[in-house]
Amino acid sequence: MSPDGPGNGGKTTALSNLYTVILALALGVVVATAVFVTYKCYFQYDTVFKIP
Amino acid sequence: MLLTLSSIFLCGIVVTYVANADNYREKYTDIRSDWDSLDKKLKAKTNEANEYIKEKQQTEDKLRSEIASLKATAGKLDGDLRDVERERASLLAQVESWTSITKDFYTTNDKQGTLLNNTLDELKRVQAEQIKQRKELNETTAQLVEKMAVVEQLQADNRRLLEERTELQAKLNSFLWPAGEAVAEAVPVTPEKIKVSPVGPTTRQISLKGLVTDVDMENSLVEISIGSADGVKEGMKFYITRGDEFICDILIYDVESEKAVGLLDLVSKQPKAGDNVSTNL
Repeated sequence: MSPDGPGNGGKTTALSNLYTVILALALGVVVATAVFVTYKCYFQYDTVFKIP
Repeated sequence: MLLTLSSIFLCGIVVTYVANADNYREKYTDIRSDWDSLDKKLKAKTNEANEYIKEKQQTEDKLRSEIASLKATAGKLDGDLRDVERERASLLAQVESWTSITKDFYTTNDKQGTLLNNTLDELKRVQAEQIKQRKELNETTAQLVEKMAVVEQLQADNRRLLEERTELQAKLNSFLWPAGEAVAEAVPVTPEKIKVSPVGPTTRQISLKGLVTDVDMENSLVEISIGSADGVKEGMKFYITRGDEFICDILIYDVESEKAVGLLDLVSKQPKAGDNVSTNL
């Protein structure tokens, strides 16, 4: 995330792989959280979106 | 970067919350099952209570009918008790009546016994007097026979003297006739005895008449309307007649001034008040 990024044209590259890992980890955490919440909802209430 | 960390943090909070969240569906199911079981128990208890109430109602109705039946029975028994008490009072009155009748009977029996003893004493006295009179009669008969023999002897002497007198008169006349005289009729010095004439009857008829005033057939007693003022005495015998019909005899044993009471005897018909009473038929 640098000010001199894609505005100058050319090939875009990541500034640091650390940020990518953090983004992947955050995405994984969010997905895992969604799966966990879905699992709990489904097995506790037999539905995901409906109100029993 | 900050946004990423925040999202991870929020995901952790969400996971933590969801992991620690209560299972309301399970609680609902448990509570619902508890509710259903309690509802079933309530219905069962309600049914039991209704059956119990119904049974109690039936028992109450049965007891009410039994109470009504028992009340009717009690009323009937009360009536029976009153009837039995009335019958008991009647029987007690009869017992008292019979007791008084028995006492009167014993009293009458004692009087009759006394009267019988007096009559037996009188009979013994009369029998003794009869024996004495029979003895005197035998003696008188013997004296009469003896005197009859003397009379016959005297009559024979009289006839002999008459024959001697006739013979002497004939002899004396045979001597006096030549002198023109005859023997006069002899006048006896001793006057003739007056012939004994029978006297009149020594008894007289007692003529008492009256009426029957009361009759007690149970004790064989009769009350008559004449008493000692009219000449009635104990031991007298009266005849009871109805028109020309003989009813019975009575023997007087109790005399008052205006009435008398006697015992029935030789009863051919039952006497009643108004029948005639007399000492002679």
